[in-house]
Amino acid sequence: MGRVIVVTSGKGGVGKTTSTANLGTALALLDKTVVVVDADVGLRNLDIVMGLESRIVYTSMDVIEKQCELNKALVRDRRVDGLMLLAASQKNNKDDIQPEQMKAICDKLRTTHDFVLIDSPAGIERGFRNASAGADEAIIVTTPDVSAIRDADRIIGLLQNARIEPINLVLNRFSAELVGNGSMMDQDDVLDILNIDLIGVVPEDSGVITSTNRGIPLVYEDGSPGAQAYMRIARRLTGQRIPIPDFAQKGLLNNIMNWFKKKK
Amino acid sequence: MANPIVALRAYRDGLHLIIKPHLSIAEVEEAIQQEISRMNRSLSGTSVQIVLKCPVLEEEEISLLRSKLQETYDLTVRGVEVTEAPVSAPIAAAPTMHTITPATDSRDSRDSEPSRIVPHTIRSGQTEEFPQGSLIIYGDVNSGSEVRAGGDIVVLGTLRGSAYAGMNGRLSAVIIAMDLAALQLQIGNYMHRPTVSQKPRGYPEIARIGAEDVIIVEKFVKF
Ligand SMILES: Nc1ncnc2c1ncn2[C@@H]1O[C@H](COP(=O)(O)OP(=O)(O)OP(=O)(O)O)[C@@H](O)[C@H]1O
Ligand SMILES: [Mg+2]
Repeated sequence: MGRVIVVTSGKGGVGKTTSTANLGTALALLDKTVVVVDADVGLRNLDIVMGLESRIVYTSMDVIEKQCELNKALVRDRRVDGLMLLAASQKNNKDDIQPEQMKAICDKLRTTHDFVLIDSPAGIERGFRNASAGADEAIIVTTPDVSAIRDADRIIGLLQNARIEPINLVLNRFSAELVGNGSMMDQDDVLDILNIDLIGVVPEDSGVITSTNRGIPLVYEDGSPGAQAYMRIARRLTGQRIPIPDFAQKGLLNNIMNWFKKKK
Repeated sequence: MANPIVALRAYRDGLHLIIKPHLSIAEVEEAIQQEISRMNRSLSGTSVQIVLKCPVLEEEEISLLRSKLQETYDLTVRGVEVTEAPVSAPIAAAPTMHTITPATDSRDSRDSEPSRIVPHTIRSGQTEEFPQGSLIIYGDVNSGSEVRAGGDIVVLGTLRGSAYAGMNGRLSAVIIAMDLAALQLQIGNYMHRPTVSQKPRGYPEIARIGAEDVIIVEKFVKF
């Protein structure tokens, strides 16, 4: 039986779609069978980030309306074996789908795949409830800023009430430089507030934007720090024990300078 | 806007229902209803002292009010007093009540209050309320969340959300946190917005109403 993991955040624009596309691809590169599900009905963009936009014929809406079989609606990613996308309908809105319908789809997908990753829309309303309805685990994506963290905290409370666990944290757009000069929260500050397990830290990486525009997930770009971070997270998801590198270490010089600044 | 006929005020010994000159008992009842609906919380289970700042009510009228308060609002009348002189302003005008001495009223009511343990962190958007007594939280109270208690609030973690102790008017109520980083505290109807830096102090703190009738926050050493 596969694992159904919702990728969610509360706040918009923190990297849910980027994380879903990259983790899905990374897991497939690790020989897992994966379906990434776009649950952002009406504002879909997982297909774009994965470069599969032109190949979509059916969406989850068509499956729900029994216009097509579930496995016919899955779009195969030709770059790697075992990776599929279930697109969201762009012409519907989030109220057109019921949580139970999403759950039924997830329950079916988990019988044929190792991982089902669901890209949740922002917010705490219907879209989020649909996205998390069929999930048994969650990945919370946050950036190191107070408003994203507060929203993440809100979402964690809701997920805990729904008995979805484990809930793992991806800290995205982390900048060692900004932490070093004291203008960004470091990972300990974030964990102190959210008090859940950290599964990975993804650095700020300009490669994310170029890869999005080209429709090729960042993980294909071997050398990039973002790609390495997502590969490590995927390995941790499969149960491998890989330490989380201390990105702030790179800012050692900054830390020392900062220490002198504080002394003054 | 202040109600011309009745006023609900939190005093150190609890809630007072002040009744001012009026034309009929029906008018009083209506004013009570207005005043209570103005408070955006339930007073259920609380006790009130009726303070008559008006020509003394008939025995009958008082028992009518008593049962009305009990039945409609679940408020118990603790006593009735008549004040000839204008009713003093809350606390500030009552110099003899200035310092909190835990040995007197507060100790007594604290001892008789139940407490509830919340064995987890309270997250943004969540509210934990216990009007009957004190709350003890085995975790953090995160930013965007709220804890309210009739009695004390003790946070065995970091308090970042808002905390409202003594919500039924017991002004001896205190708020204690291992790390008190809240941006908003309230005890009775006293508000406090600490201008704290977000840096942890590294020691527990206690918030209570101090001699100057403002909430003071200080290092918690012992109770
Ligand atoms: N690690 C990163 N480094 C640099 N840019 C990033 C990073 N992660 C995400 N971004 C950028 O942030 C923007 C938002 O990312 P994304 O669409 O993945 O967020 P989202 O949480 O899915 O947003 P929404 O709530 O709108 O669905 C994109 O422009 C993306 O390129
Ligand atoms: Mg998205």
